[in-house]
Amino acid sequence: MKIALVGNPNSGKTTVFNMLTGRNETVGNRAGVTVEKKCALIKKLYSGEQEITAVDLPGAYSMSAYTAEEHITGNYIKEEAPDVIVNIVDAANLSRSLFFTTQLLELGIPMVIALNKTDINKKKGTRINCEELSRLLCCPVVETVSTRAEGLTALVAATVRQLGTEQPTPFPALAQLPQGKAADKKRFSQVKKLVAQVETRKVFTKDRNAQDRVDMILTHPAAGIPIFAAVMFLVFQVSQSWLGPVLADGYTFENGFTLPGLVTLIDAFKEQVSFLLEQAEANPFLTALLTEGIIGGVSAVVGFLPLVMVLYFLLSLLEDCGYMARATVVLDPLFKKVGLSGKAVIPFIVGTGCAVPGIMAARTIPNQNERNAAVMLTPFMPCGAKLPVIALFAGAFFKDATWVGTLMYFAGIILILLCALLVNRITGSDPKGSYFIIELPEYKLPDGKRAFRDMCSRGGEYILKAGTVILLCNAAIFLMQSFDLSLQPVAEGMADTSILAHIASPVAALLVPILGVAAWQMAAATVTGFIAKENVVGTLAVCYGISNLIDTEGLEMLEGAGTQVAAVFGITRVAALAFLMFNLFSPPCFAAIGAMNAELKDKRWLFGGIALQLAVAYTLSFLVYQVGTLITTGSVGAGFSGGLIAVLVIAAVVTGLCLRRKKL
Amino acid sequence: MKLIDIIIIAVIVLVLGGAAAVIFRAKKQGKKCIGCPNSDSCSCNCGKSH
Repeated sequence: MKIALVGNPNSGKTTVFNMLTGRNETVGNRAGVTVEKKCALIKKLYSGEQEITAVDLPGAYSMSAYTAEEHITGNYIKEEAPDVIVNIVDAANLSRSLFFTTQLLELGIPMVIALNKTDINKKKGTRINCEELSRLLCCPVVETVSTRAEGLTALVAATVRQLGTEQPTPFPALAQLPQGKAADKKRFSQVKKLVAQVETRKVFTKDRNAQDRVDMILTHPAAGIPIFAAVMFLVFQVSQSWLGPVLADGYTFENGFTLPGLVTLIDAFKEQVSFLLEQAEANPFLTALLTEGIIGGVSAVVGFLPLVMVLYFLLSLLEDCGYMARATVVLDPLFKKVGLSGKAVIPFIVGTGCAVPGIMAARTIPNQNERNAAVMLTPFMPCGAKLPVIALFAGAFFKDATWVGTLMYFAGIILILLCALLVNRITGSDPKGSYFIIELPEYKLPDGKRAFRDMCSRGGEYILKAGTVILLCNAAIFLMQSFDLSLQPVAEGMADTSILAHIASPVAALLVPILGVAAWQMAAATVTGFIAKENVVGTLAVCYGISNLIDTEGLEMLEGAGTQVAAVFGITRVAALAFLMFNLFSPPCFAAIGAMNAELKDKRWLFGGIALQLAVAYTLSFLVYQVGTLITTGSVGAGFSGGLIAVLVIAAVVTGLCLRRKKL
Repeated sequence: MKLIDIIIIAVIVLVLGGAAAVIFRAKKQGKKCIGCPNSDSCSCNCGKSH
């Protein structure tokens, strides 16, 4: 038996799906989170012995598909004909939701209505007569609160009962009408009558309440952006400076008792393994491969886990309480001013978690050119995989780590704005008529349990990545660093003759204008970063032989405070900032490039996008390093001439493209 | 070759082989982005057109 979960965006379909199947698909307190269909078996707890497959479909407002994800929903229902449709209806927005419901009922597929979010109605004193609604719509109506799994057993039971039954059309006159504005008007008026028969409200939509007053501040065109900046700063302060490092490094209480952190435990494990192998007089190369290449490289990445997990937890809380939806409203006017589609805000916000779903979320943009621009620009938002890189450089080079993370996010937003202007100039797009309508969810106390579950899920995936892709890369890096081109072991202090040094040196030469030195280790980190951005951290750890990249106090004690910490990497603070920016804003990992390829459907756009990202990252980091060096030392840094030529070539190409478009 | 070296080699092969096996299995299941926080949320379809 196959059931389809269908409904308006943000009605709670994916939450119902997760609860029924035990999956942990991404949910969000706003529309547009689900852009693809997902299938899974319903847990026996709900289905008993019967095998029921639930299909979670993207939200749609009507059967007349307008966006790509609405097409997916419409096509699935029409072509694959599920056994039963479970229509998830937002009980707090009954009149809006029932428009789609009445269309679904005309398909003749057995249907059950899940009247979701009934807890919000109870709080507001809104009552819906379910029996009457069921009678009028000729299908069972079950009250549910998906976040608490309430009513789901009854929902599945009602669904099973509907299997094989005939679904009557409640309003045959509407079904006969040809599609168009007149039919829509009649349907709306029918829905209005229906709602009036079943719903009694104490609070009306037109009434201004406390939430509206809070929204006036949080989404204010002038105050909204500083508030958003302050919120993001606080999130970084807690995750990167307050709570995250404590969980990573441990905490010493006043009485001297020390609670060990994750990094402390990993270090102790690594030292213990080294000690035991030394005692056993094991082969030094094999010992180093195991302790430095494998354990050291992986632990350097895993060491950032607490910081990343705290950040994910806080972002999840912000999402759940309804703030992230407000953030999209705050950013929307900014994006529109530079000619981006208003709907592009969603991909950029989703892209802060991972660029792949962010890129896919661009499907909600109907215009092809606007959609392509959003796909190309989404990777500029620092994703979760880039967080360890930010944390590493912020912690190792800058005492106040918080502003670095916040700066990178806002630098990403500024780059999106500037590049949007550029892309529109080159492509000749003019999306002035674009719009962005978002339904702001009710404010609510965030669900700590859900945020914790989300954090654990992301943490688990992070460990999986560290234990597979990163581990293999680190082992390969260690081996390439240990042997020279004639496959002889590299003598101590002669790492420059290694295979890795030979491979990375050409890239290192290109990076001189942004680093000031030809550091093949940094070049190798950049290249492995294309496999997965966390690899930047792992590769640096293996190449420099440092596994604890979080304990900056330890580094400072080891190498001396301030700029001397830079001696570990052999670059200045300005160069570190430039290198960080290059890694964050250069083309994303291969998986994200693959997603770009799938969404852009045109190689010219794909290669144009990659070239744009590379050019922007190189130009920006060149400017940061050279201008920063000029300010701090009074003269430009090494590689200025070469870098300037590269930047001028980029500028000439861009100007040429813009002029060509003008002529056309 | 000492016994301890053989043990280390075995451990390394086991660890690297295990990692490769996990990647291989995930690829076979159609996952394109191993360890991606959203790998369950998107079938990704990297390289395929939708």
